[in-house]
Amino acid sequence: MTVVRWSRRLVLGAMGAAALALAGTPAAEAQGLEKTSIGVLALASSGPIFIAKSKGYFEKEGLDVELKMFTSAQQVPVAVASGDVDFGVTGLTAGFYNLAAKGAVTMIAAQSRDEPGFQLSAYVATKAAHDAGLTKPADLKGKRIAITTVGSTFHYMVGLLGQKHGFTVKDVTMVAMQDVPKMVAAFKGGQVDAVIAPVTVARQLAAEGSGTIVGWVGDETPWQLGALFTSPKTVAQRRPLAEKFVGAYLTALAEYHAAFNAKDASGAVVKGPGYDELLAIIAEATKQKPEVVAAGLPYVEPKGKLLVDDIVNQVKFWQSEGQVDKALDAKSVMDLTFVK
Amino acid sequence: MPDTSLPMTERSAAPPQPVRFRGGGFTVKGHRWAALLAFVVLIAVWESTNRFGLVSELFLPPPSAVASALAAMAQDGSLWQHLKASLMRIGVGWVMGTVAGMAVGFAMGIGSVARAVGVPLVSAFFPIPKIALLPLFILWFGIGEPSKFATIGFGVFFPTVIATYSAIDSVPRNLIRMAQSFGLPWASILRKIVLPGALPGILAGFRITASIALILVVAAEMIGAEYGIGAFVLTAGNLMLTDQLLAGVLVLSLLGLSIGTVLSILERRLLKWR
Amino acid sequence: MRLIIKDLCHRYDDLVVLDGIDLTVQEGEVLAVIGPSGCGKSTLLGIAGGIVAPTSGTIAVAGEVPDGCLNPITFIFQDFALLPWRSVEDNLSLVLEHHPLSAAERRERIESGLRRMGLWDFRKALPKQLSGGMRQRVGIARALAVRPAMLLLDEPLSALDAQTRELLMEDFLSLWQRERTTAVYVTHNLDEALRLADRVVVLSRRPGRLREIVTIEEPRDQRLEPSAQAHLAEVRDRLWHLIRAEAQLADREIADA
Repeated sequence: MTVVRWSRRLVLGAMGAAALALAGTPAAEAQGLEKTSIGVLALASSGPIFIAKSKGYFEKEGLDVELKMFTSAQQVPVAVASGDVDFGVTGLTAGFYNLAAKGAVTMIAAQSRDEPGFQLSAYVATKAAHDAGLTKPADLKGKRIAITTVGSTFHYMVGLLGQKHGFTVKDVTMVAMQDVPKMVAAFKGGQVDAVIAPVTVARQLAAEGSGTIVGWVGDETPWQLGALFTSPKTVAQRRPLAEKFVGAYLTALAEYHAAFNAKDASGAVVKGPGYDELLAIIAEATKQKPEVVAAGLPYVEPKGKLLVDDIVNQVKFWQSEGQVDKALDAKSVMDLTFVK
Repeated sequence: MPDTSLPMTERSAAPPQPVRFRGGGFTVKGHRWAALLAFVVLIAVWESTNRFGLVSELFLPPPSAVASALAAMAQDGSLWQHLKASLMRIGVGWVMGTVAGMAVGFAMGIGSVARAVGVPLVSAFFPIPKIALLPLFILWFGIGEPSKFATIGFGVFFPTVIATYSAIDSVPRNLIRMAQSFGLPWASILRKIVLPGALPGILAGFRITASIALILVVAAEMIGAEYGIGAFVLTAGNLMLTDQLLAGVLVLSLLGLSIGTVLSILERRLLKWR
Repeated sequence: MRLIIKDLCHRYDDLVVLDGIDLTVQEGEVLAVIGPSGCGKSTLLGIAGGIVAPTSGTIAVAGEVPDGCLNPITFIFQDFALLPWRSVEDNLSLVLEHHPLSAAERRERIESGLRRMGLWDFRKALPKQLSGGMRQRVGIARALAVRPAMLLLDEPLSALDAQTRELLMEDFLSLWQRERTTAVYVTHNLDEALRLADRVVVLSRRPGRLREIVTIEEPRDQRLEPSAQAHLAEVRDRLWHLIRAEAQLADREIADA
């Protein structure tokens, strides 16, 4: 597969060179931009990528970046592994670590984090469970919780909560429903006591009275939600490209942080410089209303640093759950040389 | 014709020519070992692509990796746990859908009112992808076994209805006339003429619905299933454990193969009169 | 048993198939019905046997029913109408199972039917294992098992080859030799009518009307004798004369359709 792609690229390159020699050339070629691509989800958490693209930070680094949209976090690392895209940015799942264990992907910078004060994912109790005393995250011990899939971020969030409150995933019943709509169906049907739901879904459940938000994951257990990653082969063979990419990404990241992650003296999140401009960029890229995007803007660390301890914890958690090969060295899934 | 009655012309002097055989080809002969050999070659090629590093193990795990994943499942007993759960769901769901489908199919095959009502309804509901209804099934039947039975049952129901009533249509009318002319009561005609006459069509329908049940067990096990081959395949896919994924798929296809074999035996037993 | 058909008409939608048929089948006689294809012979038989509802007219029966008769009016079909999934003996059993007979009597009826038609050795066979002639013998044995008062035979030999037809005609002859079961025998074959019938009813082309009834004087068991040939040839000519033009027209009509 890779071989074919490479040869196609070579052919295209040769054709491009020929075109350059013969006639007028497209703008990108004329400026000598290097072509590359990234797989993203149309979510606010991909915001820095949208900003870097829209504000021309990639071009400044000499890159012509194509954004390829995916519909689930699962697909992006697979696309990187298969060589369909050079980079990817999404949430971290057990599937990601299994690809990393096979040497197919490696993290090079942080994406968003769950961070106190930023409401990304909520613990939502059904009305019945809430009435029966499920009023705080610690009460989830011994309850039935709907998650999307085994190995998903929701699965880890349950494990993380247990680590904090002294229980393990064995002490809860996790019910895999495959996707958020089915999770919501199980929740509304009273089949489970609680869900961990994305902010928009959680607020909707609360608004229609079928559930109560009993806490936010960011307040309870901050963790490294996602990362920017590429394949080890790209790092080895095209390191300058990766460095330029990370450079542009970090510029956008800092801008994003300043605009959306600023807090006032009381600790409340306030609008920072460029708020409206950046919000408009993200709203357009995700094809959502600005107010919807504004409700779920995640926290990013401005320098793109990964929560290394949490990543190690994630790997160990999945290993203890038997979902990731025990032989995987947790440190090997990250390449910390790109972000200082 | 005696030779002597003909004048000795040049043509009759020519030596007799043998008639060339020209009836060859266009018949299917049995090649008992060809399929097996093709299979062995395929496996060997597949294995060697990995051995020689042509394809990464992630993209296409070699047969040996799939086999060892399967062996590991068999050893720790999880294979049987998954199989048991899936077979139970397939069994109950299929029987429910089949019994209901045959009852409705019979009503539509015999009663003109039932048919007038049923045909448009079946045509409207049959093509609905049952997977799209999963959230509704969760609300209606919960996330326990009932919703899984329902998913499989619904999938099996409509093809069974169609197979049953078209099978009844294909029962020769002259046999029913004959039975009437000998004064057989209505119920006897149904039991002794219509049911056995429709059996070939109904059994052919079973073949289809058994495969549908097998496909839908994966969908059904999307709903909060801890065990089951479908759940196992889904999880392996989510975790990107491609060797386990293929092992699960292999188990599913073997399951399909054995169900098909059982049906063939059943057909041979029940339809030896054909 | 006698069968009395009065002023019978039958239509399929606008198509008049039978028109104004008045006919009485006498006790103990074999009445052949001939006519060109599509003249409604089989429909007439179906109406007589109560499995086709006539548009108008009445059908009635009168007279004696033999002892042990379970189904006074009994059909023998052109396509045999055997259940392919039942063995020979079970095909006979089918028409007895819904009657309150002792197991011994049922067995006795099946056995005597099978033995009379020379099928005893084939009782376990499935229909597909039998020749066409043997299959029709099963059909006859099945009819005999209910001890009918009247047989309605719907082109019983048309699906068979000439030699088999000859053999089965002998079977029918010996049947009517032994018990004088009233019979209506629908055929398009003049030879069958001349060999088997007491009277021959000629139907006209559609709409089927009763054209003529020809009586064959010669006793059934002497029709192969040289002395009978003159008379039979005369009847044959007359019948052929009656149906020839009709058959020709019917033939063209089918081609036109």
